[in-house]
Amino acid sequence: MARPARACTAGRTRVTKHLGADEGTGGQTAGVHEPAAPPHRSQHPAPSPVSGDRSEEARAQSGADPGAEPQTNRLRYLDAATRQIARGMNLDETLDELCRAAVPAFADTAFVHLYAPLPIGDEIATAPGVLRLHTTARTPPRDPATHGPGPPSPTADTVQAAETARPAASGLLAKLLRDGRPVFGDTQGTDSSVAELLGTANVPRAVPPGRRLIIAPLHGRRHAMGSVVLIRGPGRADFTDDDLLVASQLATHTALGIDKAVLYAREASVADALQRTMLPPSLPEPTGVRLASRYLPSSRTAQVGGDWYDVIPLPGNRVALVIGDVMGHSMTSAAIMGQLRTIVQTLAGLDLPPDEVLHHLDEQAERLGTEHTATCLYAMYDPVLHRLLMSNAGHPPPVLLHPDGSGEVLHVPPGAPIGVGSGAFESTEMHAPAGATLLLYTDGLVESRDSDVLTGVEGLRARLHAAASQPAPPTLEELCDRALGTLGEGDRDDDIALLAARFEGILPETVAYWYMAPRPQTAGRARRLTRRTLSQWGLDSMVESTELMVSEVVSNAVRFASRPITLRLLCTHVLRCEVVDDSPLVPRMRHAQLSDEDGRGLFLVDQLAQRWGATRLSTGKVVWFEQPLPGDQAPPEESVAGRLDL
Amino acid sequence: MGSPADRVGYGNMRPDRTGQAEAFDAIGDLYDEAFPHKEGQVASAEWLIRSLPAESRVLDLGCGTGLPTAHQLAEAGLEVVGVDLSDGMVALAQQHVPAGVFHQADIADLRPGGPRDLGRFDAVAAFFALLMLPRAEIPLALQTVHHLLLPGGLFALSMVEADVDDFSIPFIGKTIRVSGYLRDELREVVEAAGFEIIEESAYTYAPASVDVPPEVQIFLRCRRHT
Repeated sequence: MARPARACTAGRTRVTKHLGADEGTGGQTAGVHEPAAPPHRSQHPAPSPVSGDRSEEARAQSGADPGAEPQTNRLRYLDAATRQIARGMNLDETLDELCRAAVPAFADTAFVHLYAPLPIGDEIATAPGVLRLHTTARTPPRDPATHGPGPPSPTADTVQAAETARPAASGLLAKLLRDGRPVFGDTQGTDSSVAELLGTANVPRAVPPGRRLIIAPLHGRRHAMGSVVLIRGPGRADFTDDDLLVASQLATHTALGIDKAVLYAREASVADALQRTMLPPSLPEPTGVRLASRYLPSSRTAQVGGDWYDVIPLPGNRVALVIGDVMGHSMTSAAIMGQLRTIVQTLAGLDLPPDEVLHHLDEQAERLGTEHTATCLYAMYDPVLHRLLMSNAGHPPPVLLHPDGSGEVLHVPPGAPIGVGSGAFESTEMHAPAGATLLLYTDGLVESRDSDVLTGVEGLRARLHAAASQPAPPTLEELCDRALGTLGEGDRDDDIALLAARFEGILPETVAYWYMAPRPQTAGRARRLTRRTLSQWGLDSMVESTELMVSEVVSNAVRFASRPITLRLLCTHVLRCEVVDDSPLVPRMRHAQLSDEDGRGLFLVDQLAQRWGATRLSTGKVVWFEQPLPGDQAPPEESVAGRLDL
Repeated sequence: MGSPADRVGYGNMRPDRTGQAEAFDAIGDLYDEAFPHKEGQVASAEWLIRSLPAESRVLDLGCGTGLPTAHQLAEAGLEVVGVDLSDGMVALAQQHVPAGVFHQADIADLRPGGPRDLGRFDAVAAFFALLMLPRAEIPLALQTVHHLLLPGGLFALSMVEADVDDFSIPFIGKTIRVSGYLRDELREVVEAAGFEIIEESAYTYAPASVDVPPEVQIFLRCRRHT
């Protein structure tokens, strides 16, 4: 794998990052800092030196007691260095801070190797993986003007580290890293480990003689994660025994920091996965409306948003369009979102009007805990009537892009958010012409640190208007991209959910709808209506099976209904029949006994129909079934357009 | 009501109109918003205009807002009388069609020997009006229409195809009670009242309100048997 290296200069240390060596963080943290904009921490100078020539300079300047001062200095250094290391929020930052703390104050060169993949959390460690060079830090050549007459370190850049090492599971290096205690490079039995980490060829000539190299294992709470190799150049004193303790401290804090960063990254990826699992894996493709959606997580790690969208097909080819946003950014938000989405789906299935859906959602949300609030907008599109019915619980207003390309911010009374318990929601009805596009979105699209919601909504409207005013009107997917604008690529403070619906409508000529009082002769009448309508639609070949199923379903409905039932026939890319009655008893398919007079009807439907279902509604139930049109016949626009002359 | 001179058999039947007029008083102009594009109705009135000599006298039964039918008939130079149960609708109709004469009245009051005598007409239009009556009254209303027409007079009728009697449905934010027949049965009822059906057509109509589901509308063009 080719590994582009990066170098950034912070303070007096040149740190080289080996990108791609941090697989364990889920890739979330591998962002490349712009060299032109160094991180804020570069303003902090590296902690003061401890031993070796540089500390001697400092001591000489302060004129302090050479006996007590080194220990105090060492403690000061450790105090500053460990705090610096602890500042890192992710893997890269933690290792950068280590290098800045160690080089040049403590050593001239630092090599950090990490196991790939990086062991995570409490998982049982598998066989040791490959050690990959992750970060290199070196003291830059010293500037004689500022650092006195000392000779430059000729070897500073000459020591090289192995890009990869494959320590044998039972080998000395693997054991050394498992033990977690730093050792000098010249300790007996350490040669082979040094050779492995630096690459054999380099060892003899690159490392100066004496105690100039420390291998400090990076050992987290449970796992060996890698090592840091610290090397002093020729112009500097050897490491002392105390320095070994300093190295141990640096490595321990770094390892704990890595543990923390990896767990944090994993939490972020779990939260992100949770959030995505809670969203629809794909959108349904209901007749009469085209749909597109987007979900963009916040660009900040572990900032899960709780935004959601949903599309729920309803009886009569109507469709519910939902968008919502659970307040807060946490795993809890995502979990609450998942529950609210399920509640909305259940309520939508009952075919309640939008304000009722929000009212019951509000009631149910209270059971999830009073501390959770959410905004939600519920819209119901009827492609036959070309009408839109909407209710809002504190959500930003939807934007309607008219067929002529003009954008309109829809005035839906905002209502109180879900979970506040105010319970007062109203439905707004409006015309939804074919060719218009409704855009539902969450506040992340229109709100940012730099602008308020109103400005953002107006900006969105203007973007959509601009997109729709071009000679070639944009596809729905393009429109989504245009709606996102620069937010699609750039930094986002918040997550964004987007649901776009382009209304196509259904010709009323492809629909037939009757109320029928439940009487013994109703099934026969329903058969007659079915026969007549199918014949008008040119679907004579389907008459027999459809009549049979309609008869069965209507007979069943009539037995339990106390008010008139409805029979609806819809001819789109399929022939759909729906029978609604006011009895809440939902029929279930069961094996009829010889003695049973009923219970066979649904078996028949199950055999003959392509799909069928029975759903409880707030006012009863609907039983529906669908059949494919013969030979993929197009909807009967030609045959029934305009008047049905009899 | 129930007078001995009652030749149309209301007998002791006391029509219950509770809430019906009030609903339409409240609905007002919203009715035309919920039911735009009345092509079927316009075509039927067109048939009347085509078939009648100028200045013929036409009754618009259940005239509603006066749009589009009373207006259309008056524009064509016919003498228009409109009747509706709802005061509010009568006021709107008068406003929309200044040339017409409009009365608040119940169709039962127009029966032979009933309290209101508006004279005889060359034609009667009853678009989605009789469906507001309970089924038992519809044959009586048809007999009243028969009585109001001169021999050979024309009758344009529209109904929603349904098999219900005095059934409460939500309607533009209110509740109304409606009745209906399936096509074959409607023909029987109309023919039994003494009409010849000249032409029949049906449309699926999608109202512009989620409160009213799409409906199958039947239009009958009839002539009074002599």
